[in-house]
Amino acid sequence: MKHLLLKLEPLIWLLFGQGILIGTMLLTGWILVVGVLAPMGLVSQGALGFARAHSLGSSLLGRLFLLGLLVLPLWKGAHHVRSLSIDFGGVERDAAVASLLYAIAAVGSLLAVVAVVRL
Amino acid sequence: MSEQKKTFVVTRFDPDQDAAPRQQSYEVPVQPDWKVLDALNYIKDEIDPTLSHRWSCRMAVCGSCGMMVNGKPSLTCKDACADYGDRVEVAPLANFPIVRDLVVELEAFLEKLRSVKPYILVAKERAVEEGTYRQSPEQLEEFKQFSLCINCMLCYAACPVVANEPEFLGPAAIALGHRYNMDSRDEGQHERNEIFRGEGTVFSCSYANECSEVCPKHVDPAAAINQAKFNAVIDWLSGFVTSRGGK
Amino acid sequence: MARPVNPHAMTPSRPGRTRTAPPQAPNGWYAQPRMLRYLLFDATGIVYLLVGFVALRVVWALGSGPAAWAELMRQLRNPLYVAFHLLALVCVVFVAVRFFRLFPKAQPGHIGPAKPPPGPVILAGLYAAWIGVTLVVTAILAGWVLR
Repeated sequence: MKHLLLKLEPLIWLLFGQGILIGTMLLTGWILVVGVLAPMGLVSQGALGFARAHSLGSSLLGRLFLLGLLVLPLWKGAHHVRSLSIDFGGVERDAAVASLLYAIAAVGSLLAVVAVVRL
Repeated sequence: MSEQKKTFVVTRFDPDQDAAPRQQSYEVPVQPDWKVLDALNYIKDEIDPTLSHRWSCRMAVCGSCGMMVNGKPSLTCKDACADYGDRVEVAPLANFPIVRDLVVELEAFLEKLRSVKPYILVAKERAVEEGTYRQSPEQLEEFKQFSLCINCMLCYAACPVVANEPEFLGPAAIALGHRYNMDSRDEGQHERNEIFRGEGTVFSCSYANECSEVCPKHVDPAAAINQAKFNAVIDWLSGFVTSRGGK
Repeated sequence: MARPVNPHAMTPSRPGRTRTAPPQAPNGWYAQPRMLRYLLFDATGIVYLLVGFVALRVVWALGSGPAAWAELMRQLRNPLYVAFHLLALVCVVFVAVRFFRLFPKAQPGHIGPAKPPPGPVILAGLYAAWIGVTLVVTAILAGWVLR
C-alpha cells in the first residue's frame, strides 16, 4: 500500500495543488453567495430559485465550474488532513490514513461527476 | 567593559552515566559583544571542562555549531548573547539523536546527502580536448543560491516532517539534489527525480517553510523542495510519453 | 524542557559506537505563532472536505428537482450552516493568502525553454485572478448579472 501511495504521489500532488489554486478561487464566491448571502436573505429571490439555478448549472460552463468546485477542494482537503495526521506523530498509521482520505476524495469525485452529469 | 551575569541552562548527557539528558545551570559573566558560543566556551574553559560541543570557524561558514537556543535552531557563533534575557537555554539540535551533551549524531544526515547523488552526472565523460564547460551567468543564477548551504542542519531541526517522518530526505539534501538538477552541466535529472519520488519522497514536504525561516545562509530550501516537486512531476509525466521504460 | 519526536528521526542505518539519547523537540514547539499558522493551514483541509461534501449535496439537490432544491435552500438557512460557511470563508481566505505568498518561489527556474515571470508579477497575477474569479462567480450566483 505504501508503495502504491508513493507511485501515485505525483498525481495526488497535482490534484492537491490545483485544489488549493483553482479550488480556492472557485470556492470563495460560491461560499459567499450560497453559504452566507443567500441564506441570510441578502440576495434577490429569483437569483437562486430552481429555474435559474438549474439553467446556470446545466450549461456547459456551469457544469465545468461545478465539476472543478466539487472535485478539487476534496483533494486539497484529503492531502492536508493526511499532513495533519503526520504532524501529530502519525507516520506509522500513514498508509492507512492516506488510503482512507484519498478514497474519500476519490468517491467524492465520482459522486461529483454523477451529480454534475445528472443535472 | 560592562559584563552582565546570565544563567545558561545547558543540556547535559553522558551515555555512560546518564539514563536520559538532564539540564545543568551555569552563571556566566557575559561580555557585551559575546555570541552564545563565547559563553559556551567560557563554561568549558572556566567552569566545567566536561561540557562537549561542536564549533570551528566562529564566523557562520562551517556549519558546526548549530544548537537550539531558547527553543529555536541557531548558529551559536552568530547569535549574540545580548539578544537574549537573563536565562538562556542551550540544547542540542532538535530531531537528532544525542551523542553527548550538545553533540548530535550526524550520520543519518550524511546518508541523506549522499543518497541524492550530489555531483555532476553526465552520460559521457568530457574529453580534455573538448575544453571546459561553459555556463552563462543566467544559468548560474538558477542554482547558485542552493549551493550556498553550509550543512549546519538547522533546517532539519526546524522541520516538522523531519521530526515525524524518519524516511524523509529533508531540506538540505533535497536542496542539494535540486542544485545539481538545475546545473546546466548536469545530465542526471531523471536519476535524481526518481530518488526524489522514492522512499525519501520530496512530496512529504508540507511547505511549513520553517527550514527557510531558520536558514542562516538564505539558501531558501523550501523554494528548492517545492521547485523539485514540480520538476519531479514533469519527469514523472514525461516518463509516460518518452520511451524510458516508464516509471 | 523537551518533548519526544519520532524515536527514529534522523537515526542512521547502522548504530554508532556509543549509546545515543532519542531525538527531541523543544517544549512548546508547536505553540509558536508561525508553527500554529502552519498547523492551521493543514487543518483547513478538514473544512475543505466538509465544504466539498456540502456543495455535493447542493448540486445533487439541484439535479433532483425543485422540491429537493427548495428543501436544501431551506436547510442552508440554519444558523449552524451559515456559521460553518462563514468559517469556511475565513479558511479559504487564509489559505489563499498563505499559498499565494509561498507560490512564486516554488516555480522552477525554467521548464524547457520557458521561464516563469518574476515573483511580484506572479503574486499580482494570483490576486488579480482570485479577485476576478470571485467577483464573476458572486455576480452570477447572486443574480447581479445574467438575470
